[in-house]
Amino acid sequence: MRARRNFSRARCPNARDSLGPGLKHDSDDAKQMAMLAAGDPGALRELYERHGRALLRFSAAMCRSRQSAEDLVHDTFVALLRGPSLFDPAQGSVFAYLCGVLRHRISRHYRQQKRWVALDTGDETPLSHDRHSPGPADEIARSQVTAAFRRALLELPLQHREVIALCDLEELPYQTVAAILDCPIGTVRSRLHRARALLTLRLASLELIDLDAEPSLVHEGMS
Amino acid sequence: MTETLHRDVAALLGEYRRDLRDTSPSDDLDARIDRLVAGVRRNSPPAVKPQLRRAQFWAAAAGIAALAIGAGIFIGMNLQRSAPSAGLAQDANLLPADFSLWPTDSVALQIPAEYSAQGKLVAVDPNSRSTGKRYWIDVVVSNDGTIRIDRIVPAETNDDVTLQNP
Repeated sequence: MRARRNFSRARCPNARDSLGPGLKHDSDDAKQMAMLAAGDPGALRELYERHGRALLRFSAAMCRSRQSAEDLVHDTFVALLRGPSLFDPAQGSVFAYLCGVLRHRISRHYRQQKRWVALDTGDETPLSHDRHSPGPADEIARSQVTAAFRRALLELPLQHREVIALCDLEELPYQTVAAILDCPIGTVRSRLHRARALLTLRLASLELIDLDAEPSLVHEGMS
Repeated sequence: MTETLHRDVAALLGEYRRDLRDTSPSDDLDARIDRLVAGVRRNSPPAVKPQLRRAQFWAAAAGIAALAIGAGIFIGMNLQRSAPSAGLAQDANLLPADFSLWPTDSVALQIPAEYSAQGKLVAVDPNSRSTGKRYWIDVVVSNDGTIRIDRIVPAETNDDVTLQNP
């Protein structure tokens, strides 16, 4: 049976704890940005409280280690502090702007990573910051299937991984994702389609899913 | 096209999404952000908006340009004022014909003279009757005591010794 659920449209009520689409949020964010631009660094803390968690989720989905994910989120807020006036409210929400900054940081991070050879690529699921204290990341590590899924996701090309992270994991609407990726909505759709197909193929190769149940979907995605 | 998703993939995505949702910033990241905020409060002056910075830049540029224009006008006016005197000085350089190296405070005398029997030009009494060809010797006595013979001309028209100021 086909799953016809559009992850980017079917929102969970608490899916975006800090990404609420309400106008009040946007106006509050714009107010905080104005305060930050006026030289009030306390506004940065407020913006971090609102969006830091969602940004970390996106970063964690994109990065191989929790430490890198947190570093990139930190860098994003440093960049925000240095140039708050670069934000243009006419071009989108504060969250979309922050996501765009983070996305560029992630892209740069991977470009720099290419210069180095990883000594140990076996463990790519260290979402836990502290290995000794039990936390959500430890639960992820305990789940072998989820860990394998994460590895498969991390093997996707960056532009496919980010569209999966934003549309399927963060469940952002296409319009917001298009603003973050700075591309048309049609491009988001086609990129998501291809990303899902690649992920499906990869999961099938890892024998995490059975393609025989719905073979047509994969072929459709690769066309 | 993107409406479709493999059931198992959807399930795995949902599971991973739930796990990610439990992810929260570590205490270390919170502390780093706090340090960032505190560092800015302690060290930095209020951020200046780029628009304001741009306005300051253009104001400074306009001020410098106004100063340069003012200085140019001032220098030009000075040059214009000094131009006539410079012209005069240039004209003075062009007047060497009327200019004399001799002191101006001097006296010129015309002394009558005739050739003697020995062939020398000697001064004669101006009231005496001329026996030969008479000449006027123009002698200039300067205020510094020097005497010079300016010229000797035949006295065909002038009969008297005259005094004249140069």
